[in-house]
Amino acid sequence: MSALRQIAFYGKGGIGKSTTSQNTLAAMCHYYGQKILIVGCDPKADSTRLILHEKAQSTIMQLASEAGTVEDLELEDVCKPGAGEFNPEDDTITDGYIMCTESGGPEPGVGCAGRGVITAINFLEEEGAYDDELDFVSYDVLGDVVCGGFAMPIREGKAQEIYIVMSGEMMAMYAANNISKGILKYANTGGVRLAGLICNARMTDREYDLAKNLATQIGTQMIHFVPRSNHVQRAELRRMTVVEFAPNSEQAMEYRELARKIIANDLKVIPTPLEMDDLENLLMEFGLEEEVEVDAIGKRAEEA
Amino acid sequence: MFVCGYHFPASMGNDVSFDKVIEKVNEGAGDLSGVSAIEVTGETSKGDIVEKFTVSPGSFLFAALADYYNKSDVPEKDGYKMIYYTNKYQISEISKAVDGEEEKALCKKLDDMNLYRIKIA
Repeated sequence: MSALRQIAFYGKGGIGKSTTSQNTLAAMCHYYGQKILIVGCDPKADSTRLILHEKAQSTIMQLASEAGTVEDLELEDVCKPGAGEFNPEDDTITDGYIMCTESGGPEPGVGCAGRGVITAINFLEEEGAYDDELDFVSYDVLGDVVCGGFAMPIREGKAQEIYIVMSGEMMAMYAANNISKGILKYANTGGVRLAGLICNARMTDREYDLAKNLATQIGTQMIHFVPRSNHVQRAELRRMTVVEFAPNSEQAMEYRELARKIIANDLKVIPTPLEMDDLENLLMEFGLEEEVEVDAIGKRAEEA
Repeated sequence: MFVCGYHFPASMGNDVSFDKVIEKVNEGAGDLSGVSAIEVTGETSKGDIVEKFTVSPGSFLFAALADYYNKSDVPEKDGYKMIYYTNKYQISEISKAVDGEEEKALCKKLDDMNLYRIKIA
C-alpha cells in the first residue's frame, strides 16, 4: 500500500472547483482504481453530489446540530459511499472507490464557516475515516483564503498538496495568487506545498499562455488545461460525473489525463506569489487589462 | 512536471528546457520513417470541421504529433485521435520556437480553442 496523500482543490468561488475536483477524482477511481475520501469543506455542501448522485449530502454540522453534538455522531452517519461504480461494494468497473463527507457550515450570516471545517476534520480523524486502505484524501475548499478558517486544511498541515483551479479571467488569477500567499504563509510551519494550477478553461483568447505564465511565475506548473464541454453540464444535470456519463468522450479523456498527472505528480513547491503590480502587468501583457495613462486615473469618460 | 505527455522529475524544476523535451519526444517517437504525413483536423464545439491540413516529416511538430498518435490510447474516430488541449498548446509552443515558417503557420491554427484530431498516413 502506498502512503496516503492528502490533496486539496482551492479556487475562486464559481470557478468550477467542485465540478473539476469531482470529475478528476472520479477519473482517478474509474481509470486508475484509486481509493479516495472526499471531504467537502464548502458550506454549500456540493463537493460530493456528482459522486453520490444526490442533490446534496447531509453535512457533519447539520447532523451534529440535529443530534446535539458532534460526539453523538457515528462515522457511518456522515461518511457515505459513492454511488454505482464508486461504491466499495461494486467492483464491476474499478477496484477503487470513493467515500464522501461534507463538513457544512453555519446558517448564513451567523458564526464561522471555518469552524465547521475544523470540527469535521477532527471528527473524521478521531473516528478512523482516514484508514490504511485509502490512497487519497481530497479536500474541496471554498474561496481564496480571505478567512483563516478556510485555510484550515493548509494551516493544520492536513492538506499536503494544493491544486488551484483557475481560469484566464482576472479574478480567478487574483484568487490563485492569493491562495499561493496562503500556502506560502504555512509552508514552513507545516508541509503544505503547491502542486499545480488546473485551468478550467473559459476558452478566452490566449488563456493557455496566460495560465502557464502565471504558473511559471509563482513557481509551479499548469498541470492541465481542461477545455469547456457541454458534456460537463449534461452530466451535472444528471447528478453524475463525466466519466460515468460519457466514458469515451473527449472530455472524459481530458479528466483521465489530469488524473494520471495528479497520481504521478512530484512537483510540489513553496510558491512565490506575485506582488499586485506584477500580477497587473501580467494581465496587461495578455490583454486582460488595458493600460491607462496616469492622467486618466479617476477621471470620468467625458474628461479622460 | 508534464510536457507533451512526458513526466519530467521535480528536480528539473517548473520550466523544463525545450531541448530536454525535444530529446525526450524524439527518443520516444523512435523511427518514424514509415510515417509519410500526419493529417490534422480542427473542429468547433459543435463538431463542425473548420481546419484540415497535413504536417510533413522533418520537424518537431511532426515528431511530436506522430509520437502522440502512437502512444495515445484515446478512442479513435474514423482513424483520428483527439489531442489533449494541453499537449497541442505545448507542442505548438515548442514548434514555433524551433521549426520553420511553414510549421509556425500551422501552429497558429493549433493555438485556437478548437478540438484537434490527428491521423498518421
